[in-house]
Amino acid sequence: MMYFTGQILPYIAVAVFIAGVTYRVMTWLKAPVPFQLTLFPAPNTSAGRTAALAKELLFFSSLRRGDKTLWFWAWLMHISLAMIIAGHAVGIYFLTHQFTLIGMTEAASSKMSATLGIIAGIGFIAALAMLLYRRISIPEVRRLSDPADYFDIALLLAVLLTGMMMRAPGVHVDLVSIREYLGSLIMLSPKNMQLDSLFVIHFFLINVLMIYFPFSKLIHMAGFFVNRSMLLEAEPVYPTPAGVMRDARVLKKRSVK
Amino acid sequence: MIKPPMHIAKEKEVEAIGFPMVPEAELLNQAKEKLKHMKESMRSLMVMLETCTKCGNCAQQCHSYLGTQDYNNFPAARAELMRRVYKRYFTLQGKLFGSFAGAEDFDAETLTKWLTYFYQCNECRRCAVFCPFGIDTAEVTIAARHILSELGIMPRFMQGIAVNMIKTGNNMGLPAPAIIDNAEFMEDEILEETGIVVKVPIDKPNSDVLYVPSSADFFTNIDTMIGAAKMFHMLGLNWTISSAILEAANFGLLFNLDVMEEHNKRIVNEAKKFGAKLVIQGECGHGWRAAKMYTEGASGPVPFEIKHVLEVAAENIDRLPHKKLSMRVTLHDPCNYGRGGNIIEQPRKILRTIVDDFVEMTPNREENFCCGGGSGLLMDEMKDIRMQLGKKKFEQVQALGKLDYFAIPCSICKAQLPTVMEHYGNNDLKMGGLMDLVGKSLIIS
Repeated sequence: MMYFTGQILPYIAVAVFIAGVTYRVMTWLKAPVPFQLTLFPAPNTSAGRTAALAKELLFFSSLRRGDKTLWFWAWLMHISLAMIIAGHAVGIYFLTHQFTLIGMTEAASSKMSATLGIIAGIGFIAALAMLLYRRISIPEVRRLSDPADYFDIALLLAVLLTGMMMRAPGVHVDLVSIREYLGSLIMLSPKNMQLDSLFVIHFFLINVLMIYFPFSKLIHMAGFFVNRSMLLEAEPVYPTPAGVMRDARVLKKRSVK
Repeated sequence: MIKPPMHIAKEKEVEAIGFPMVPEAELLNQAKEKLKHMKESMRSLMVMLETCTKCGNCAQQCHSYLGTQDYNNFPAARAELMRRVYKRYFTLQGKLFGSFAGAEDFDAETLTKWLTYFYQCNECRRCAVFCPFGIDTAEVTIAARHILSELGIMPRFMQGIAVNMIKTGNNMGLPAPAIIDNAEFMEDEILEETGIVVKVPIDKPNSDVLYVPSSADFFTNIDTMIGAAKMFHMLGLNWTISSAILEAANFGLLFNLDVMEEHNKRIVNEAKKFGAKLVIQGECGHGWRAAKMYTEGASGPVPFEIKHVLEVAAENIDRLPHKKLSMRVTLHDPCNYGRGGNIIEQPRKILRTIVDDFVEMTPNREENFCCGGGSGLLMDEMKDIRMQLGKKKFEQVQALGKLDYFAIPCSICKAQLPTVMEHYGNNDLKMGGLMDLVGKSLIIS
C-alpha cells in the first residue's frame, strides 16, 4: 500500500493531470469559432488584449463589477492558493531558507516562510469557508449546487487542513526527508516513503486532487483562458482581407421551399 | 409538466419554411445528436458549458431573472438546462458520477423547459460582462434555439417572420409595390416639411451604397428612415435600398443559424448586384450584430465594407449643417450595439452634437440593461412576461425624472419600450430612433 501511494500513485496523478487537462483543452481548441463573439468594449491591439487578460487573471475584474463580497473571497482564495503553491516550491527546495537570498538570516527566513505560509493557509481556509457559507445561504446558489460542488470544497479543505496541521505546535515534520523523497520522485527513482503519516495523508489527498482536477469544474482554470481569448478576439474587418476564411461547420445546407 | 408561454408552429407551418418536424418518438435521440453536432461546431458552447463554477454572480445581473423571479431565468440556471444533459452524455464526470456531478438524462420535460426558458433569455450578453470567465448565456441560448428549430420546434412568431422573409425579403411581409409606395410617401413628407427633393431610392442600379433598414422603418418608424435619407442626401451618397432585402433584423440569429445565413447571404448578394462598396445597416440591434459579427462566418469573404448608420452619422454630423435641438434626452444602449457590436460612443457623440441636454441613465454602455424584447420576444402572447423583462429598464428611465425624448435606436426596443413605459404608468414619454433626431436637426439644402 505504501509502495503504491509513495512510488506509483504520484506518477499516475501527474500523468492524469497533464494528459487530462491537455485532452480537454485540445477538445475545445479543435472546435471552430464560427463567428467572432468579441464582447465590447474590447481592446484592438494584441498588447491591449494581453493586458486585459492579465487584468482579469490577476484582479478578477469582471467578477468585481458584480458582487464585491463574492469577489473578495474568491480573489483571496485564489491569491492564497498561488502563494501556497509558490511557497511549496521554494520552501521545500530551499528548506525554508529561501529568504536568505534577499539577505535574511536562516532563522529569520524560516520564520518568514512559516508566517507567510500560515497567512496564506488561513486566508485560503477562511475564503473557502465563506464561499461554502455563501453557497448554502443564497437560495439560488444553493439550488444550483450539486453534491460535487460541496465535494470540491471538502477536498480542498482536507488538503489544506492536513497541510496546516503539520505546522501545529508539537508536530515535527522532517522537511529534509520530504525534500529527499520529492527529489527522488522528480529524478524518477522514487525512494521509500518513510515519512510522517500526516505528510502521507496530505500528499495522498493532493494526488487525488490532481486526478480529480481535469474531470471536475476545477478545469475552469483552463476554461478561463480559452473563453476569455474568444471574447477578446479582434472584431472582423470588411472588406474581408485576403486569406481570411472561417470554419462555420455549424451551418449546413438546407433546401428552402 | 410546464406549458411554454408562446404559440408553437404547427407541422405544416414548420415544413413551409423548409424544416422537418421530427416525430415525438425520435425527439430525444435527435436532440442529443444535434447537441453533439453543435458542441463540435461551436467552441463557445463547449467551453461555456464546461467552465461554470456556479458562483451565482450572474443572478443579480440578469434583468430576466430580476423581472420574473423565476429560478430558471437566472443565467447559470438557464444554462444548466443544457449543461446537465450535456454533462450526462458528453463528459466523463457526468457519465461516471451522474447526478452527484449534476448530470441528468434528457427527457421530454427538459425539452419543454428549453423551449420555455431559452425563449425568456434576451440574448443580451450582460451576464458575460459580469461572469469571471465571460460565460455568455446568449451562446447557449442561440445553440438551444437552433437545436429546437432543427427538431421542428419553434415559436409561431419566428416561423411567421421566416415565411415573410422567404416571400418578400422583409419581416413585415411588405411586397415590392408597397415598398415603392412607402418610399414615395416619405419623399413627399420630406418635400412638404423642407421644400427640398430628397430621394428614397429603391433598387437603383449601380449604387455605391446599399442601405439595409429595418422593415419597421417603412411602416411604424418612418422618422428613422426619413432621418437616414436626409443624411445620405446631405452626404451626397449614391445609395439605394433593395426591395429584396428591406430588412436589417436577421431573425435567423434568434432561432436558427441556417436561416441567419440565408438572410446574411441575401444582403451580400444584393450588395454585389448593385455594385455596392459599402453596406450601411439601419437601426436594428441584433441585425447589426448579425451583419458585423456573423457576415465573415456566414457569407465571407465579402468585397464591401459594412457600417452602421450611427457610425456614419457620428463621423459626419459635425461637418453637416445642423441645429441644436432643445430637449432633454436619454439614450438606451441596445445590447447588440454596445456589448454585441461596438457601437458605444457614436450615439453619444451624435446626441451631444444635436441636443442641448443629453443625460446618461445608470447603468449604461456595456452594463446597460436590455429593453426586455431582445432576441425577438415580441409575440403578443408573451406580453406579460415581456413586461416583467422590461421592468428594470422602466426603473432606469424613471430615475431620470422628466425627459423630452428617449432615444431607443433599435427596432425591437422601439416595439417593446413604449408598451413597457405605458404598462408601468409613464404615458407621456416620447421615444423613438436616434436617426429621427438627426433628421430633425439637419438643415437640408
